[in-house]
Amino acid sequence: MRVAVSNLTFGYDYRTVLKDISFRLNSGDFLAIIGNNGSGKSTLVKCILGINKVPSGRISLDDIDITEYHNFKNVGYVPQKFDEFNYEFPITVNEILQVSKYSKVTEDEKLELLDKIGILEIQNENINNLSGGQLQRVFIVRSLMNNPKLLILDEPTVGVDAQNVENFYQTVNELNAEGITIMLITHNIRESNAKFTHMLSLHNGEALFKEVPRGDEE
Amino acid sequence: MLLANVPFVVALFEYPFLRYALITGVIMGGITPLIGSFVVIRRLSFIADTLSHFSLAGLSIGLFLINIIGFTFISDPLYLAMVFSVIGALFIEILRGYYQNYKEISMPIVMSLGTALSALFISLSGGFNSSIYNYLFGSILTVGDRYLVVISVTAVILVGLVLLFYKEMVIISFDEQYAKLLGIKVNRFQFVSTIILAIVVSLSIATVGVLLVSSLMIIPVAAAMKVGKSFKNTLTIAIVFSETSIIGGLWLSYELNIASGATIVLVNVLILGLVGFFKRFFINKRLKDNQLKIQAK
Repeated sequence: MRVAVSNLTFGYDYRTVLKDISFRLNSGDFLAIIGNNGSGKSTLVKCILGINKVPSGRISLDDIDITEYHNFKNVGYVPQKFDEFNYEFPITVNEILQVSKYSKVTEDEKLELLDKIGILEIQNENINNLSGGQLQRVFIVRSLMNNPKLLILDEPTVGVDAQNVENFYQTVNELNAEGITIMLITHNIRESNAKFTHMLSLHNGEALFKEVPRGDEE
Repeated sequence: MLLANVPFVVALFEYPFLRYALITGVIMGGITPLIGSFVVIRRLSFIADTLSHFSLAGLSIGLFLINIIGFTFISDPLYLAMVFSVIGALFIEILRGYYQNYKEISMPIVMSLGTALSALFISLSGGFNSSIYNYLFGSILTVGDRYLVVISVTAVILVGLVLLFYKEMVIISFDEQYAKLLGIKVNRFQFVSTIILAIVVSLSIATVGVLLVSSLMIIPVAAAMKVGKSFKNTLTIAIVFSETSIIGGLWLSYELNIASGATIVLVNVLILGLVGFFKRFFINKRLKDNQLKIQAK
């Protein structure tokens, strides 16, 4: 999926969080978004997802303005620490990943996805019994339930152990190789073995966008 | 109650009002935890209390209109309670939109308004009397066949909607943002479920009374979520707990000649306590071992 952001400015009440941000991604690009806490990384992706209404500037997905874009099913999203998810109430992995008329995959394809991401064995477990890394992968599978063309990951490896971080980025790299555009918010770019093509660094609301050589040689 | 010289089961066959009470109780015992589970997940546990207090305003205005003004065509103030419960629910939704970051503020505002209106109209109707007492603490034994029909229709609609939209309701309750991304009409769903919730709250007033309504909806769910393995399993356990408290509570209140609403709630709390106790001393270690096994997969 192609993503174009031009002259995006966004603020909460009287505080400007994003100032005049512009960048462009082609299908199959892999963007790393970096910046300190509060630099507006999550705010930016929430604008792209249409969760934050954009007062000034333009965002388009596959050349369609997001105010007219009605197919966010094409966008997979893994929120930061799954903060929007209501925990503690018992629910199994399978119950979260229910195939409904809102998902594009069949029951068999779902099982394939679970196997590919490595959580087939825990599909009937209560999510409150899972480790951080397992839970992470559940949400990855959920974001893939619609065969997304754009995958947005907001600090997906917080609280996940080193081995699982490596496995996780391996999976993300594979998905990217299949042609899915990826936007990854990350705190520590050196920690990951992700193969970025572009980098956007946010500082005090301003952005620096640049192309980087894909880390194939690593 | 002066019937206690015959056993509860025998009395059930002899007295229709006792049968109505039991059937009403069993229906309410099924639907309150069903809707209560979704309420608990959305962290709206206080909504039942708020709406029941707002219903009380409807009840007291109803009593005022019937007894003082003479509007006898309002056969039962409980119908006005239902209308007020729905109005209260709409107020809450409006205020939740108004205070985006402090959504819970809507509850005390609506609750205060409801309580103030109730106090005003109770005093205008000549102060406290036994019917107000019944509305505050429940009077399941006075439930008639007409009321039973209203409750049954509501139960059928609620169960039908849950069966039809189960998946959507689960997605919305657990993760509203994700539901929006999927294109689910979240606001529409929430509007409908709030209206049904309001109706169920006003109907449960007859069972346990205004002050105890939320206990029917929340306590069985609170107990079940401590032992449930999955969402469906938790729902089922909550309904079993709830029915046990209703049937057990009615039986105890009959045998011991004590208030039925209060007994039902106390049995509910007893179940919650027992679940907590057994979990703490008998199940916790096994659960921990199981958790470690799962995480090693």
